[in-house]
Amino acid sequence: MTARPEQLIAPPVARLIEEFAKLPGIGPKTASRLTFFLLRAEPKQAQALAQAILDVKEQVGYCRRCFNITVGELCPICLDPSRDQTKVCVVEEPLDVLAIERTGAYRGLYHVLHGHIAPLEGIYREDLKIDELLTRIRSEPIQEVILATNPNTEGEATAFLLLRDLAPLGVRVTRLARGLPTGGDLEWADPETLGSAFEGRREL
Amino acid sequence: MFVHHLFLRDFRNYRRLEITLAPGTILFYGPNAAGKTSLLEAIFYLATTRSPRLSNDRELVRWDAVGEAGAPPFARIAAEVERRIGAVRLEVLVQRRADDDGQPLNGAQKLVRIDKRPARAIDLIGQLRVVLFTPADLTLVDGAPTERRRYLDITLSQLDAHYVRTLAHYQKLLLQRNSLLRAWREQRRVPRNVDTELAYWDQELAAAGGYLLAERLRAIVELNDVAGPLYRAISGGENPLHIEYAASCDLGSARDAGSLAERLHLAFAALRSDELARGQTLCGPHRDDLIFTVAGINLGRYGSRGQQRSIALALKLAEAGLMRQRGGDAPVLLLDDVLSELDAQHRAHLLELVYRPDQQTLLTTTDLSDFNADFLTKAQRYRVEDGRVFPG
Repeated sequence: MTARPEQLIAPPVARLIEEFAKLPGIGPKTASRLTFFLLRAEPKQAQALAQAILDVKEQVGYCRRCFNITVGELCPICLDPSRDQTKVCVVEEPLDVLAIERTGAYRGLYHVLHGHIAPLEGIYREDLKIDELLTRIRSEPIQEVILATNPNTEGEATAFLLLRDLAPLGVRVTRLARGLPTGGDLEWADPETLGSAFEGRREL
Repeated sequence: MFVHHLFLRDFRNYRRLEITLAPGTILFYGPNAAGKTSLLEAIFYLATTRSPRLSNDRELVRWDAVGEAGAPPFARIAAEVERRIGAVRLEVLVQRRADDDGQPLNGAQKLVRIDKRPARAIDLIGQLRVVLFTPADLTLVDGAPTERRRYLDITLSQLDAHYVRTLAHYQKLLLQRNSLLRAWREQRRVPRNVDTELAYWDQELAAAGGYLLAERLRAIVELNDVAGPLYRAISGGENPLHIEYAASCDLGSARDAGSLAERLHLAFAALRSDELARGQTLCGPHRDDLIFTVAGINLGRYGSRGQQRSIALALKLAEAGLMRQRGGDAPVLLLDDVLSELDAQHRAHLLELVYRPDQQTLLTTTDLSDFNADFLTKAQRYRVEDGRVFPG
């Protein structure tokens, strides 16, 4: 009896190919390429990769206060006493924190919701860190909540629900402005963006 | 407006086609499966970013087309369109989807360019306006309500860029709202704070729906002005056709987007318990219909085959009329093998109404004897054979 081709591959190799293929953006061919690369690489390299993956899962968690990703109980931003403790910026994902930090325009705190309202994807109010935000506002000296959810349908739906929850708490609630990108060209702006830039125009 | 140049590459059964067309009446004839319908399909696709045949976009790519430099195969449809407001060059690439390793995946992706600039598919709609006539148009009258909503949506989308975007937005909101309702109905979630959770979706759906309703009601008034007398001419009878918009909720006398949105909002509130029980949105433009009456009789239900065919024809011609009136430019008419379905009287009427010097009309047929000699001398003729087009 002859073995089928897939049985000729040593089981550990087949298992690694299978695991790589589960990752986003990696098809069976890329998975094989990565596997055979590691097979030929120095043991040190494979060890470093395995350890890095384990460390991410073991050491990184959510900040107890703002739910940003961090090592330890609290994230560096929450631990920094020079940050403005009266402002909290609400974002959908940890990457949004990085994006806002890069602007250097904001010195307050954050709150990461970990998603947006999207019934179609099975994401509802209880799946987001909304109750945690409300608890923070009741217990911390927060005066302004900046809603920085994405300017799309799901982000707007999330902001709308948040506004309803925040209104009775007596804090100032603001929403990021929508408008034209710097260095852009009016002619190239899509009609929705140009439309909301008009609605959000201000006095000079 | 008229399609001046048409370029096809690896589209359906065309390997390569480059053809220059004139305004006026153009007749494509040839045997079945030669590629006549595909020509009209290509033009319809450039106008609406959709194929009139309900098919997967990846099937638009010629079956044995080969990709370049490892990229998956693609079809290219491009046209230069002469319009009263100025010429424009439209182009769509439809590429079969593949993963990073070049393995074929389901579906296809579209790349759109307007005057050589990359654009979104939604921005293409309305650049070139077309009205398509097919033997299947009878379903407009005797088919499901979806067909009639599609008729209004395709017409208005080509005339109003804001309508296309609002319609897309409405459909997205509707999916989200229905998912929310369904999760409660299927007891995946406890129905607590129902009104609060629905508030955003109600408000946004009503706002988008209000605009769609206002535009549809305005179009119905204008369509009645055109289709009413057209039906009389086509059917040879005394009474005009009357099109009535049958809304899924009480619109009262509201006609502008704002007050129609308020009406929808009220209807959502009134239907709350029904919607929770059924797990779906029960009123709005996605549930509306059209009713066709002549002398008070509902011909969609009680009309003869001939009467229904006359209505379908009147609706299509009225669509062209509306585009001419509102768009300030005649649309391109695409008549796909429609004459074989009609009796001699209908045929003569249609050809007479369709023949306008300021308008481009593309017809396909397998049989030249469907046309009278007078028509044949006025039309430019092309023979289509096995994915190739020859003049004469």
